[in-house]
Amino acid sequence: MKKIVLFLTIITALVFVGCDKEDFLDQPVQGKQTLDDFFSNAQNAENFINGIYRKINGESWWQVNFQRQINEMATDDNWAGNTEQPRPDIFGIAQYNVFPGSTYFNSFWESHYIGITRANIALDRIPGVEIDLEKKEQYLGEAKFIRAFFYFDLVRNFGGVPIVSSYNEILDPSINDKTRASVEDVYAFVEADLKEAIGSLPRKSEYAPTDLGRATKGAAQSLLAKVYLYQEKWDKAQTMAKTVMDSGEYALEPDFANLYKVGFAHGVESIFAVEFINNPTFSEVGGQFPITNGSRGDRGWGWGSPTSDLENAFLSEGDNIRLRSTIIKHGEPVFGDPEVSEFDGIPSENKSGRTNRKYYTPLADRPEPYARGQIPGQYIHLRLADVILIHAEAAYFNDDETSARNSMKLVRDRVGLDTNMSLSGTALRDAIWKERRLELALEQQRLYDIRRQKINGVPRIALILGPNGSFVKYNTEESTDPFETTNLKESQDSGALFDPNIHMLWPIPPEEIQLSRGNIKQNPGY
Amino acid sequence: MKQIILIILGVLSFSFTAEAQNIIEGTITDSQGQPIPGVNVIEKNTVNGVASDFDGNYTISTRNNAILVFSYIGYKTQEISVNSRSKIPVIMVTDNAKLDEVVVIGYGSVEKDKIATSIASIDGEEISKQVASNAAEALQGKAAGVQVLSSGGSPGASPRILVRGVTTILGNSSPLIVVDGVLQPSGTSLNAVNPQDISSMDILKDAAASAIYGSRASNGVILITTKRGKSGKPVVNFDFNYGVQGWDRIAVADAQEYISVINTRRINDGTAPLYNPEDYGAGTDWWNEVVEDFAPVVNANLRASGGSEKIKYGASVSFFDQQSNYNKGYYQRVTGRFNIDFELSDRVTLKQDISPRFESYENTPNLLFNTLRIDPLTPVYVSQSERVGRNEYSIFGLSENLVPNPVAQLARQFTENKFFGLFSNTQLNFKITPDITFTSQLGLNVTSLTWEVFNPEYFIGPNRQNEINNYTKNVTQNFDYVVNNTIAFDKTINKKHYLNLLGGILFDSENTNYLRGYADGLPSNTDQNLWQLDAAEGETIRASGNQGTQNILSGVFRTIYSYDRKYTINASVRVDQSSRFPKENRIGIFSSASFAWDVDSEDFFKSETVNNLRLKIGIGEVGNQNINRDGADFTIGSDDYVLGGQRVVSNFLGQFGNPNLKWETVKDKNFGFDLGVFNNELTLSAEYYIKTSEDLLNQVELPNYTGVPGTVAQNVGSVESKGIDIALGYNKKWNDFTLGLNLTVSSNESKAVELAPGNELILGQRRPTLGNRFVKITELGEVVGLFQGYKTDGIFQNQTELNSHTSENGKVVQPNAQVGDLRFVDQNGDGQLNDEDLVTLGNPFPDFFGGLNLNMQYKKIDLSMQWYGTFGNDVYNGNLEYIRAGTQNLNVLAGTTDVVWTPTNTDAKFPRLTELDRNGNYKNPSDLFIEDGSYLRLRNIQLGYNFDVKGFQKCRFYVSGQNLITITDYSGFDPEVQSGGIIDGLGVDFGRNPVSKTYLLGLNLTL
Repeated sequence: MKKIVLFLTIITALVFVGCDKEDFLDQPVQGKQTLDDFFSNAQNAENFINGIYRKINGESWWQVNFQRQINEMATDDNWAGNTEQPRPDIFGIAQYNVFPGSTYFNSFWESHYIGITRANIALDRIPGVEIDLEKKEQYLGEAKFIRAFFYFDLVRNFGGVPIVSSYNEILDPSINDKTRASVEDVYAFVEADLKEAIGSLPRKSEYAPTDLGRATKGAAQSLLAKVYLYQEKWDKAQTMAKTVMDSGEYALEPDFANLYKVGFAHGVESIFAVEFINNPTFSEVGGQFPITNGSRGDRGWGWGSPTSDLENAFLSEGDNIRLRSTIIKHGEPVFGDPEVSEFDGIPSENKSGRTNRKYYTPLADRPEPYARGQIPGQYIHLRLADVILIHAEAAYFNDDETSARNSMKLVRDRVGLDTNMSLSGTALRDAIWKERRLELALEQQRLYDIRRQKINGVPRIALILGPNGSFVKYNTEESTDPFETTNLKESQDSGALFDPNIHMLWPIPPEEIQLSRGNIKQNPGY
Repeated sequence: MKQIILIILGVLSFSFTAEAQNIIEGTITDSQGQPIPGVNVIEKNTVNGVASDFDGNYTISTRNNAILVFSYIGYKTQEISVNSRSKIPVIMVTDNAKLDEVVVIGYGSVEKDKIATSIASIDGEEISKQVASNAAEALQGKAAGVQVLSSGGSPGASPRILVRGVTTILGNSSPLIVVDGVLQPSGTSLNAVNPQDISSMDILKDAAASAIYGSRASNGVILITTKRGKSGKPVVNFDFNYGVQGWDRIAVADAQEYISVINTRRINDGTAPLYNPEDYGAGTDWWNEVVEDFAPVVNANLRASGGSEKIKYGASVSFFDQQSNYNKGYYQRVTGRFNIDFELSDRVTLKQDISPRFESYENTPNLLFNTLRIDPLTPVYVSQSERVGRNEYSIFGLSENLVPNPVAQLARQFTENKFFGLFSNTQLNFKITPDITFTSQLGLNVTSLTWEVFNPEYFIGPNRQNEINNYTKNVTQNFDYVVNNTIAFDKTINKKHYLNLLGGILFDSENTNYLRGYADGLPSNTDQNLWQLDAAEGETIRASGNQGTQNILSGVFRTIYSYDRKYTINASVRVDQSSRFPKENRIGIFSSASFAWDVDSEDFFKSETVNNLRLKIGIGEVGNQNINRDGADFTIGSDDYVLGGQRVVSNFLGQFGNPNLKWETVKDKNFGFDLGVFNNELTLSAEYYIKTSEDLLNQVELPNYTGVPGTVAQNVGSVESKGIDIALGYNKKWNDFTLGLNLTVSSNESKAVELAPGNELILGQRRPTLGNRFVKITELGEVVGLFQGYKTDGIFQNQTELNSHTSENGKVVQPNAQVGDLRFVDQNGDGQLNDEDLVTLGNPFPDFFGGLNLNMQYKKIDLSMQWYGTFGNDVYNGNLEYIRAGTQNLNVLAGTTDVVWTPTNTDAKFPRLTELDRNGNYKNPSDLFIEDGSYLRLRNIQLGYNFDVKGFQKCRFYVSGQNLITITDYSGFDPEVQSGGIIDGLGVDFGRNPVSKTYLLGLNLTL
């Protein structure tokens, strides 16, 4: 018994000795900042805003950009192109044999919402940061602008989507029960954000040169004009577009060829653009498109080749200035690149032997190594010509044909094309639409435009695609294009499977339907 | 420092004087007259004691009327009164009354009949005989309830060990490894210990046994005891074996069959054929180009042991080398172990073990996948004329189907790993009184791993290129230590009451530290001497590094009480404080209790045949603190953006945290019996357990619209696992013939018994190929991780069948289907297929699994066999996503044209070939991919011959084969599929490197 007592005494002593161990047990995580400590100064707040911008084009080629490119392939402007590697998740969408589970839909959806949450966190935290009020106002305006941009990009691809409007919503368990908001509600949300952003954001001219690329009042107004246009709020669209045109902040780039030239990211015409630079210290600060879009004969991947149908559209207008700055053709010199006299478009590996000139980097501007994510240039989301054509289209539908013609003329004058000032009615409408196609060709607007533009209530896309669509008929019956009619690895009847009852929207990613336990419903037909 | 204070404290607490009055000597022998060294001789009720020397002699001074206690493991303890004698010879009698194994139980060891928990013990002989490179392989099928799953046939791959199934969702389900009392850092594999050094392995299966290890024990605990020296003349043992390993060839389509499949896919869709078969011959045989038929494996081991009365040593050094079945990839290991025992005084012993380990390895690429998928039309190399101006990494053919050329992958893979580890274990035992022992132990683990990767500059095609070569070097250093201070009381009172008490304070610290450098533009693509950061000339230089510490401070208490060898009670408590958790929920308390009743010791139980019958019951609780270290934190990530022509910093929320994270706990109940009949020739033990894992941690993917990046750590609910372990043994010796037969059978199934709000549905195994849909689902009340998808109902044979597959109101369910496509069942009859039509398709849990071990010896010849199998489990055969479909123009298995539907092959299993696949035959999860994964495999067979050579105690030559026979209906490459977490990965097959067949020759010499 004595021994047991002794034993217990020693145990007690051991426990006593082992007691004060706070140093041993306090081992905080090292090397990571936490959210609660992060918003402690102005610089961090600004860095966090920068993080929202990062999601506009995604970190790399696949999160967001490639879906935009696939969208172009699903129109009459682009083939899937790369016949060397016919991937069903790309070809399938381009040909309207749509695989809802495509990685690209999924990452596009996911990446946009990550961006929205970044904006929501900024809107939640930045009001509490000690910075001068003007800056704070600007940061909040930037967050609102980009959030609106994300929702607009979602609604025009998928239709009504769930709206998460604040960071606190995510912290509440009910976040799991969200359903899709209506298209109208999403647009209303976008409009509200943009109106607030317009009130908060500085003008382009008010920014320091080192801040160029941040959202501006003009960018918010331009986007709002486009949002109105998509909703056919013609009156508001016309007014808002006019506000931008009259702001004195922007002018058309005198030489069309300079729009996509290196160094013109924030040129006079640029309203909102993502800029790319070469800096090998940091991965993915440069562009992706010159590689993903580039010819396989020119160190590219060969995705998204311009169609002869698009080329014909330029030719029918005698529009050589924009044609040569939009399409490069196999065997021909590259406009603006004196070092290439005979372009290698590899028609054996490419449907049309054509490449997008807007995302082509002339040899002299190419960094070495010429690597994806390191190529200087820009991706222009909004530019003045777009806004002017929004104005023209809205004015036409507002029965203000004079303004419509005048605006269209502004755009055509720049590229030396005459404008028939007597055009009227549907002829004027068609001319404006065609002008939009030519001016903004391969800038990834086409799919949204032909989905929303209607003739007698029928969306134009249904007239262009589908078994009897004009584009399908042209390719299967009329085309004599030497490249497209020879390389049949990509089927000539691309677009024939288009069904207007299904394909006016893309499918909701099936993963999201499963993750939401069925609360998020699929679009009809998928 | 504290240990020293404690020792002094202990010393001061007791004053003792040895009254030397009489000197007694004698020799201790066994019943055959052989001297036994190391027998403990103690004057009863004192601390006075000695041990016999290696000639069995002892000398002790005692009082005249003293009683001497002679004890030695495996022999009956004797008490002899001195009665003024000066010479007392002693014959020790083997203790046959019980299976007198001593079992290691954590911070101590006791005889087997003193424990009431579930512990499986495996003798070192069994392990070293296995010629395995990894002790885990030797465990397979030996202990009921312990599952050893191969990690595939790559050199150095350490098998996964699952003790009674998986109790955790997240990745690490490997049991805690404890070597000679020292807890190894989390994630330690059994590669860390040379199998030839193992004296015994004890696996703590139930929580009643493992609760003493508290928060690190939720996956079970494996206690390893290494071999130590014995006094006596040196014994030298040398073991060497050499073998070759290879895979069974998997036959894929040649160029002609491939073209036929690809063209048929297009013709069936109405598009033009892609290839003209006349332009191609048989094409490239990728298997021949990539896979080496035989890869050598060498294992050599040298051991010496011996010692004097006061100092004993056991030392070994081993070498292991295994090459892969590709021309890249190997694993080499050199280990040493030096175990020394010092008897500093009658009361104090010191053990010092040192075990260094060097490993050198090159990662084995998992190229099987690409070798099978790449088309046979692509040449290995481009033509001579095209090679002009290309470097040696750029001369390879580019496949049109996006599969990287596997020969090119091999050519440009340069990885090098160097590992050094030093394990030191110091243990001081101080016998304060004959019954009370204080033990202080310091275990150190210092490891350093350096890996280097070089990526050469190459150009094979537009998206198969690396514009500039680059090099990465990563150095990870770990420093881990364990300090155990325990005090134990062990005494038998009045012959009937056995009491063993243990208390202790334990420190456990893991410290990790890494530094990584990356640079590009190395001056040479080929000169390996220039592949160092110092040589880099490129513009990109990146560095990263971090460190982390995780500590656990614990107190343990255990009591073992046994009455008259009839009733045994064990109880333990462990209190853990872990630095992984915030202060508020840092403490975990883990307790256990168990009870055993030896029915055969009862007076009323008299049986000639039954010599052992024991019933036991135990309950206990353990925890899992091994979770994502910063899972509670909302952390900030950083990235880049460009403004005004300059790179700017961009920050964002990198991880969404969960401040309410709790420990996972596992509670279990264990019921069992042990039965021995015919003098223990036949033994049977069976156990039934119910194990509940509570507050299971999972990395939950929230709906994407939340914008939460990645996954969030959450406690998602509770899973209840029920299982049975049965072990049946028959061991008998006739004159020249010995037979040992051991059969283990286990079953285990886990159900979700509680799911936390927001996690009512746990989805797992997202398949990008199937539209990022999840093929595994867990719902309340159901078995966890079931396969789900569409049920198929055969193949549409004609237009009538297509037209009649409608909803009640006539809506065609599969408008895009054609004859030859799969018919999916529209479960709710609404005329369309969507998520509401997904159903459960299979269960990855086997009905039972088990092993059969057979050992036979006839005169000088011995034969052993190990069979292992699982029965009644379903497998998701991911390979079927392409190998019968040509999806994305990937290659197919040979004979595919014969097994796909055509108008003339209408009872085919697989649907028609189609490129567009508008019906989604291969784009939807369905039972097409689910197969019965039952198999029976001859893991090991070994035939040995013992021969006599003068001067050697023992010489044995053996031949051995591993995985020679596999019986299965499974159509994948290897039914032994890797199981990831219980919910996500179990039963999912992705065509990793299959298990190799091995043929070995070996020699074992003892000097």
